[in-house]
Amino acid sequence: MAERKKRYALVIDSRKCIACRACAVACRAENQVPLAYTRNWLNQELRGELPHLLAISEPEQCHHCAQPACVRVCPTGASYQRADGIVAINDRECVGCRYCMIACPFDARFFREDRGVVEKCDLCKARVDRGEMPACVETCPSKVRVFGDINDPESNVAQLLTTRQFRVKKSEAGTAPQIYYLL
Amino acid sequence: MKQIEWGYLIICYLFLGGLSAGLFFVSALSTFLQKDGTPTRIARWGALLSPWPVTFGSALLVFDLGNWYRFYKLFLHFQYVSPMSVGAWLLLFFSFVSLLYAFAWLTPEQRNTLFARLPKRLPRLQIFNLDLTAHRRALAAIGLPIAVGVGIYTGVLLGAVQSRPFWNTNLVAQMFLFSALSTGCAVLLLAIAMSRDTMADSELRLLYGLDISFMILEFFVVIPYLVHGELSSRAVQDSLKLILGGPFTFTFWVLFLGMGLLLPLVIELVEFAPAMFSKSALAVRRPVVACTAVLILAGGFLLRYVFVFGGQMSKFE
Repeated sequence: MAERKKRYALVIDSRKCIACRACAVACRAENQVPLAYTRNWLNQELRGELPHLLAISEPEQCHHCAQPACVRVCPTGASYQRADGIVAINDRECVGCRYCMIACPFDARFFREDRGVVEKCDLCKARVDRGEMPACVETCPSKVRVFGDINDPESNVAQLLTTRQFRVKKSEAGTAPQIYYLL
Repeated sequence: MKQIEWGYLIICYLFLGGLSAGLFFVSALSTFLQKDGTPTRIARWGALLSPWPVTFGSALLVFDLGNWYRFYKLFLHFQYVSPMSVGAWLLLFFSFVSLLYAFAWLTPEQRNTLFARLPKRLPRLQIFNLDLTAHRRALAAIGLPIAVGVGIYTGVLLGAVQSRPFWNTNLVAQMFLFSALSTGCAVLLLAIAMSRDTMADSELRLLYGLDISFMILEFFVVIPYLVHGELSSRAVQDSLKLILGGPFTFTFWVLFLGMGLLLPLVIELVEFAPAMFSKSALAVRRPVVACTAVLILAGGFLLRYVFVFGGQMSKFE
């Protein structure tokens, strides 16, 4: 029997987020991201006034789209998609043209002025390959983030997506993003 | 939050690349149309001018890269789905063919002067002192589709980005192509207006005819771009606000569309109209020809300015 294809994805339950930013700190430490940049961020919004108040904090990072625009436009193949769905950058091949940054609907990429290459979240692919969780997922104290293989019906992510309603952002851009926000 | 990644270097390159494509296109056309084997000034000047803007523009592109010394990696890969990869290869072939074509247009004296300057220690280089006059037509035929490719790909580069609604239409490629061809005509008009020799009626007719056609075509791409955008999805409508009340409104409508496209079109039509359907010679004044050409060039540059900056500001909300 052919081996089932993996498809890693993130499921995010923003309502659990307490805006502690431990995910950003963990990512910075794990991937040695300088302070001027960040691979993940929080979208925060405050609506209304007390007592009718809504405070939203929604974590975001690279959506690891199933049809990534960044990979398509990359002229050297430095941006690539792994068989398990992770979109990553081979920075030895990156010439720094920044076409991928322009193509990304989520502005998830940044240009490292010091190194002349583009960087972004790669779901800590080295950790994933060792069977560990991405740093942001592992560190999140309120379990906002769930990481796993959505093609595996037994996985947490697959079960959440079966039993809960969710949305994906900017699906109209046609890149099939793979961060699922629970409603 | 979103910062502008592509700036003036890219705008200049898009303009210069298009300019070279236009020069080559007009020169090649003029080569095909030449009667009784007498080469025209337009064909020669177009050929001699066309390699330089694109080579300079390509240098700007290389220096815009984060790691400019890695530019060779563009030529270790061919990603047919990446407009930039296709464009890099087109630029390489176009630069090569246009240089060869320009070489074919040198007079024997110019060639001999050029080769006399080569280092004496390398006598073998003299074998390249070839007379390619007989191959001008062949080179023009090879280069013509590549020139059109270069002219159109600068628009495809932007149009193929699905996440920027301001760009994501096939019309941007046509707009850039016709603008490129028109700027090529403009440089040749400027050149013949500034030279001391008399302007031949045939060359004026060719340049005016081509330029007017390209500008009309460009205008009739701009109009559907606006109309269709307004009839498109919300994101596209919102992105058009950049030029309909947004930061680029004045630049687009007054400077580009008014002064850079319609005004030169009207001037050229007024000058060309009396002679259009008769055999009488075109009566043009050199300062007017030169000013029109400068307006067209400025318009071509501003079109790219509006699109490069505007497109990067547009996004799905």
